[in-house]
Amino acid sequence: MTDTLTGALAARIRSGSGVNPYLCYQCKKCSTGCPVASYADVHPAQVMRAVQLGDEAMSVGSGFIWLCTGCQTCSTRCPQGIDVAGVMDELRIIAHHDDRVPKDAPFASILDINFRSFKRWGRLYELELIVRDMLKRPKTALGYVRLGPKMMARNKIRLLPSFGDRRQMKRMAWLAENIEVGRRADAKAAAAGKTPGASGASAAGGTRESAP
Amino acid sequence: MNKLAYYPGCSLHSTAKELDTSFVGTMAKLDVDLEEIPDWQCCGNSAGHSVSRLLAVALPTNELVKVKQDMKLDAVAAPCAACYSRFQTANHEAEDEAMAADIAEVVGRPYAGGVEVLNLVDIYHDAVGLETLKAKVVRPFAGLRVASYYGCLLTRPPKVTLAEDPEYPEHMDAVVKAIGCTPVDWDAKTDCCGASLALARQDVIDRLVRAIITNARERGAEAVVCACPLCQMNLDSRQVEIKNKDATWVDMPILYLSQMVGRALGVSDRQLGLKKALVDVAGVLPA
Repeated sequence: MTDTLTGALAARIRSGSGVNPYLCYQCKKCSTGCPVASYADVHPAQVMRAVQLGDEAMSVGSGFIWLCTGCQTCSTRCPQGIDVAGVMDELRIIAHHDDRVPKDAPFASILDINFRSFKRWGRLYELELIVRDMLKRPKTALGYVRLGPKMMARNKIRLLPSFGDRRQMKRMAWLAENIEVGRRADAKAAAAGKTPGASGASAAGGTRESAP
Repeated sequence: MNKLAYYPGCSLHSTAKELDTSFVGTMAKLDVDLEEIPDWQCCGNSAGHSVSRLLAVALPTNELVKVKQDMKLDAVAAPCAACYSRFQTANHEAEDEAMAADIAEVVGRPYAGGVEVLNLVDIYHDAVGLETLKAKVVRPFAGLRVASYYGCLLTRPPKVTLAEDPEYPEHMDAVVKAIGCTPVDWDAKTDCCGASLALARQDVIDRLVRAIITNARERGAEAVVCACPLCQMNLDSRQVEIKNKDATWVDMPILYLSQMVGRALGVSDRQLGLKKALVDVAGVLPA
């Protein structure tokens, strides 16, 4: 099987986040400072390279983007000033947009519950996050066995939700979605139409064998 | 600075209630008036910017607009490091013209900047000031050795937080020194504790927490002090699990900076919420 190298993904990332992925020259500082690189399938520098080559499987489809803690160490240390963590954000957003969020990544599921929760109440309802996560992934409950009662005993978890300005929250979420979804769809279409993007000239029309 | 707008954030109404009460207690002792932002909403936290870049910036901007236009104040206290980070991001993005136009459309009102965002360290170190703080101490610590833990979002990324030194910040050390503690030099000060994976990947965070606390102990710390509800919760609660798997584990008390400062200023133990910690903290506090 062969994959065509394209600048489409890099162009989408640039349009969505303002970051030019082609600035990366693979020094790998992001990966050496990353607290979770050793637990993932690929490390941040590999994700950056995959983005440059238009390899969606190793970027949008990587396990790494659902392990990244958003600690910003990569963005802080990048000698090229690339907001690497911002690229990871954008890859998660693209995964949502393209309906490629993995069903089995616990962090993806928790982010989704979290997002729905604060949209619903105006504020994040922490107990709801915990309970819905437990219902979705019953095995997780094992991790709470000892902690749950101890936290309850110390009254650490508020039982009832705290309400924010729910009307304004709904309105803002709706407006933001309207603006962004259309724009991202346009960017996707535009990127697909004019490959390669940015400085990917050398990769124009090139093909390579994908790893077995 | 006598009056600050106050944005508690979701954690301070739930798992980090003691950060809220201890912070409010210290502000009363330091004669700073706090005015809570009416009907504040979630800042969007890490889920926000993983789903919608625009909403994740519009939410904190909406609060900044309220501070500026409705409350007529120029500074807001955001004791949660994650909220602080989102608010600073909102200030940073307001400088981008195209982004600012989108944000104004979502918020319904334009924001031209001009609201200073203060984290817990900034408040004691800059807004109150070390000399004023020292003068109000009634119950100083007798040289307790503490590791001041910044974690990620108080200093990173520096173009957003404008932190003095993103890799080895020292303002928190200066604050604990002002109340009689001895800050230790250590290596994990700005390491990530992995709190955003707290529910998702406990195998990963147990290792991160272990490394951070072990380093603090090796460097002579008797307690770790932090200024983020996610860090405190993670470092404190994961020790229960770590201890369960490793009988040789020695507990490390994890305190909020506001609890330490509050203890020194004479805020009551009840208001400081000292009993909320899973790992006992009373042993390292002066009687």
